[in-house]
Amino acid sequence: MSEKENIHISSYKEHLSTWLALILLTFMTVFVSVFGAELRTLSVATAMIIATVKATAVGYYFMHLKYEPKIYKIMMATVLGLFVFFMIMITLDYITR
Amino acid sequence: MTVDTLPYTTFYKAKKGIISWLFTLDHKRVALLYLYSIITFFLVGASLGILMRLELFHPGKDIVEPHTYNQIFTLHGVIMIFLFIIPSIPAVFGNFFLPLLLGTDDVAFPRLNLFSFWLYAIGALFALGTLVFGDGPADTGWTFYAPYSVRTGTNVTMSVVAAFVLGFSSILTGLNFIVTIHRLRTPGMGFNQMPLFAWSLYATSWIQLLATPVIGITLLMIVAERVFGVGLFDPSIGGDPVLYQHMFWIYSHPAVYIMALPAMGIVSEIIPTFAQRTIFGYKAIAYSSMAIAFIGYFVWGHHMFTSGMSGPAAYIFSILTFLVAIPTSIKVFNWIATLYKGSINIDTPLLFALAFIFNFLIGGLTGLVNGALAADIHLHDTYFVVGHLHYVMFGGTGFAFFGALHYWFPKIWGKMYNKKVANTAFATLLIGFNILYFPMIILGIMGMPRRYYDYLPEFTFWNQVSTVGSWITVSSLIVLIVNLFVAARKGKKAPDNPWGGITLEWQTKSPPPLENFDKMPKIPEGGPYNYPNAKSSN
Ligand code: HEM
Ligand SMILES: [Cu+2]
Repeated sequence: MSEKENIHISSYKEHLSTWLALILLTFMTVFVSVFGAELRTLSVATAMIIATVKATAVGYYFMHLKYEPKIYKIMMATVLGLFVFFMIMITLDYITR
Repeated sequence: MTVDTLPYTTFYKAKKGIISWLFTLDHKRVALLYLYSIITFFLVGASLGILMRLELFHPGKDIVEPHTYNQIFTLHGVIMIFLFIIPSIPAVFGNFFLPLLLGTDDVAFPRLNLFSFWLYAIGALFALGTLVFGDGPADTGWTFYAPYSVRTGTNVTMSVVAAFVLGFSSILTGLNFIVTIHRLRTPGMGFNQMPLFAWSLYATSWIQLLATPVIGITLLMIVAERVFGVGLFDPSIGGDPVLYQHMFWIYSHPAVYIMALPAMGIVSEIIPTFAQRTIFGYKAIAYSSMAIAFIGYFVWGHHMFTSGMSGPAAYIFSILTFLVAIPTSIKVFNWIATLYKGSINIDTPLLFALAFIFNFLIGGLTGLVNGALAADIHLHDTYFVVGHLHYVMFGGTGFAFFGALHYWFPKIWGKMYNKKVANTAFATLLIGFNILYFPMIILGIMGMPRRYYDYLPEFTFWNQVSTVGSWITVSSLIVLIVNLFVAARKGKKAPDNPWGGITLEWQTKSPPPLENFDKMPKIPEGGPYNYPNAKSSN
């Protein structure tokens, strides 16, 4: 890979909107956990999903996954997939016990 | 074979003094720091093993109190797992040989590499610190199962912190290898021209990187529960003990592939060299490493069949477990096929590689017995499991470790060991090992539970056989290590390429200079194991 391909400059606008989105999502997490506390499992699940979206946004925009070759995106997706599998199997054990 | 006598500076002589070792950035020196520490802990762990076998010579009390026995098997397990077998091949031979096999001068992050050794040293101090601080070493077993680990008075916190720090060391090694393999391959070496040991380290590193953080969190949760009374795993304060087992095995099952995959990589290096023949099914072996690493994430529940996990979860985990057998047997068939019609040179490293296949086969097949849901209900927590785990870890990875040591010894030290002594030690080790552990498989089927200092009189015979085996095993280990130690100091000078290998490490001098290669190594045409005078082409 030549040096040239590695230089990518993202705009302030993109950085700013990503940041705003992250702040907004943080507020959502707090909101759900405070006002949706009686939903229990559901509020935990919502928090997890919001956190996943946030992590993906950070990886994609701030950490420049956006510019990387496809293989890195596949790796990232695989890791997320593994995590989802862990959660599914543990939950399955709980609800069928 | 010509010995190059031109003077050059080896990496040993490049710098002098103890400081130059402790703060070295040379991957070869870091590897040797690991080697000496790991061998030391192996001997400590083995002594604890001998102690347990002595206690088990007769039913009833022989030499230690029941409570002490519990601490001994825990410390034995913690040392053997976290200080010996997990770092063993990657930290020693991965560090030393990955850059050489890739034809480069160091790993991607030499400072991180040194840091990971220091973390290893700190973790080791914590593990040994339990001997003197608090109420002695943990008595939970190396698995630290809750809720007992939350309630026991022994120093679980310190043991758990040790495992946590050692986990970080392992993560950093994995990260370093992944970047090294992606970025530092010598020009012209694609992924599919990499030696298979590099492939196996690549697969291993992904496990180290992705699975180890899970155990980190889990162990911290134990500390949070012990110190702050947060109800996570202990049902009396609102926790769930089965959750602990899930989280523990989400790491610890993949971790058994941190132990096994590098060992398979070693065997894949040794066999083509000593058969002087192209490896059969290069891609099948390479990709099956990745497949094992991947499938390994989906099977952790097979450790929990009797823990109160739900039926449907148990069926699913049992079925998934059987899938791992496929890529593993692909490797075994390919190794055997490589030997077929090769011009075989039976030397010490090959003997260890063949013993690996033999022992690992017993370990793997007993593993399938454990993976079968119905059989495991009977065998869980019996000596069958202790037999199985030693066949895989010691008979498999341990033998591969010693095989690698004999294979690369002339490269590391530039000397040759006494082969007669090495072969004798090998033979008695193989015999002693099987006398030590095969009786455990029988005892397990008879129903003797593990982690007890006592047993019923009907188990006496096989326990005594096993203890005698432990004496043979340890004597052979001592002969093996002393032989190498003597050779490193005053062995005959070895040629640069004593076995006629064609992977890149054999193209440099023995011991290698600081920068590894004086001139660019030449990649063999037609693949890393394309031996020029091999009889068959495939
Ligand atoms: C001289 C060699 C060795 C001897 C005599 C030995 C002996 C034993 C014995 C008797 C037990 C069962 C204790 C019990 O359940 O009551 C045991 C457990 C264990 N051994 Fe070894 N062992 C040796 C080497 C190794 C090696 C090389 C490894 C790993 C690489 C290892 C890993 C373990 C583990 C993980 C356990 C389970 C500990 C637990 O139950 O928490 N051992 N060993
Ligand atoms: Cu497992």
